Amino acid sequence: MEKVCLIGAGSTKYGKLEDSIIDIALQASVDAIESAGIEPKEIQAGYISNVFGIADKQVHLGPVIMSNLGIPEVPSLSIESACGSGSVSFREAYANVAAGFYDAVLATGVEKVTHTGTEWTTTYFSYCSDFFYEGGAGASFPGLFASMARAYLAEFKATEEDLAMVAVKNHDNGLLNPKAHLRKKITIDDVMKSAVVASPLKLYDCCPFSDGASAVIICSEKFAKAHTKNYVEVIGSGRGGSPAALQGRDHITTIPSTVIAAQAAYKMAGITAKDIDFAEVHDCFTIAELVDTEDLGFFEKGKAAQAVREGRTKLNADISINPSGGLKSKGHPIGATGIGQVVEVFDQLTGKAGERTVKDAKIGLTHNFGATGASCAVHIFKSV
Amino acid sequence: MPYIYSKVYKLLTKEEFANNAKLGKVLTRKCTKCGHLHLVTTYYCQNCGNKGFENTIIDGKGYIVTYTIITVPPDGYEEYVPYAWVVMKLDESELRISGFMADIKSPAELPLGTRTRITGYDQRGIIIEKQ
Repeated sequence: MEKVCLIGAGSTKYGKLEDSIIDIALQASVDAIESAGIEPKEIQAGYISNVFGIADKQVHLGPVIMSNLGIPEVPSLSIESACGSGSVSFREAYANVAAGFYDAVLATGVEKVTHTGTEWTTTYFSYCSDFFYEGGAGASFPGLFASMARAYLAEFKATEEDLAMVAVKNHDNGLLNPKAHLRKKITIDDVMKSAVVASPLKLYDCCPFSDGASAVIICSEKFAKAHTKNYVEVIGSGRGGSPAALQGRDHITTIPSTVIAAQAAYKMAGITAKDIDFAEVHDCFTIAELVDTEDLGFFEKGKAAQAVREGRTKLNADISINPSGGLKSKGHPIGATGIGQVVEVFDQLTGKAGERTVKDAKIGLTHNFGATGASCAVHIFKSV
Repeated sequence: MPYIYSKVYKLLTKEEFANNAKLGKVLTRKCTKCGHLHLVTTYYCQNCGNKGFENTIIDGKGYIVTYTIITVPPDGYEEYVPYAWVVMKLDESELRISGFMADIKSPAELPLGTRTRITGYDQRGIIIEKQ
């Protein structure tokens, strides 16, 4: 296999955006191309992740994006894997470069949904569940994670305040990120007093619905070296699956796909969880960050709540979790999120993360999943 | 925002599943090779990969494993708020099954472990009630 590297990354601001889905996808793509210092014609394939293009009257996004980048002849692939679309798409791009099919490719993730309103998004997001048993029995997405939260709080004697601390920490990080959706300092009290969406989860336990796009240029080591000295190497890539419905899992407080994907990625990289300096993890709801950081091996099962309580996951503490602000504060444009995490890692490892820089970071990890973790991808990156 | 979808799931045994649910029973599929039980939507055994199943009807009684109380519902569920979406463990097997529980307003009404039973299947999905 070829060594695979990142040489450029770009992102729009996440939030409520006015521009069309194609416009924002192009803005991020152009940023990535210019950050890489390459010409569009050097791109040999496009990987486009998106879930609800239909909401902005555009599916088959790939050819439209490639055409507007002036390279209509370049093949593209549009990928949907619910909230994990970005990382799954990144994996496909990675695999094709690693296999030697392409020297350089573009991976762009995009979502544009906020104009549809809360009811539409709540309803359509529920289609990402195992619909016969979950969405089709009245479960919203917050409801599914709330069920995970209730089981976790009972099993590990954690509290709703522990969940709230995840939100507070990620908002603190998001304040330092100019592209974050919710740039607002919050307190535990704010979270606890926010409206209940699906008990025990409250509004401030939930990430927002966001619009946004992120893009990266993925290439062979040879291509990277020919263009820049400031690049990042992808040293591990893992994927996994879980029973689609929560009811199918032996333990509701762990996400099997995360465990499988992480083990594969660590094995490929030849490292363990202890070697990770910072991680962008899938905190669509506060409970998810607790479960993720245990499943990724940063903490023992049931110990993440205590770690958060002790401040061990804050920026530049023991392990910086979600320095970007995570889905919770940075925002969650679902097709873009997995790519956005890679953008954050690229920025961190190439000295572009500004005030939220993780000091002396050499190795970063991204973790992104679809639905309640039915599909998952984990990637590990190293500065060079 | 208008949208269109079909309420008809392509589930071969859906009618039979619904009829059993109304009688408080769960129609499951038992692997003819290893005996592993599955819910009705499975086509290959998750334990041994075998494709052969025989229908097995088990009792729909069990207890609450976890749940949520929905206050911001998806489309079609507005009139039922607040309601619970619950995951229950069935007494007669290792299977868990999830579904809709009406008129639950606070967690105090539904401690984990509460005895429950399946009572039907309708436009709200699989219906679960307290015993």
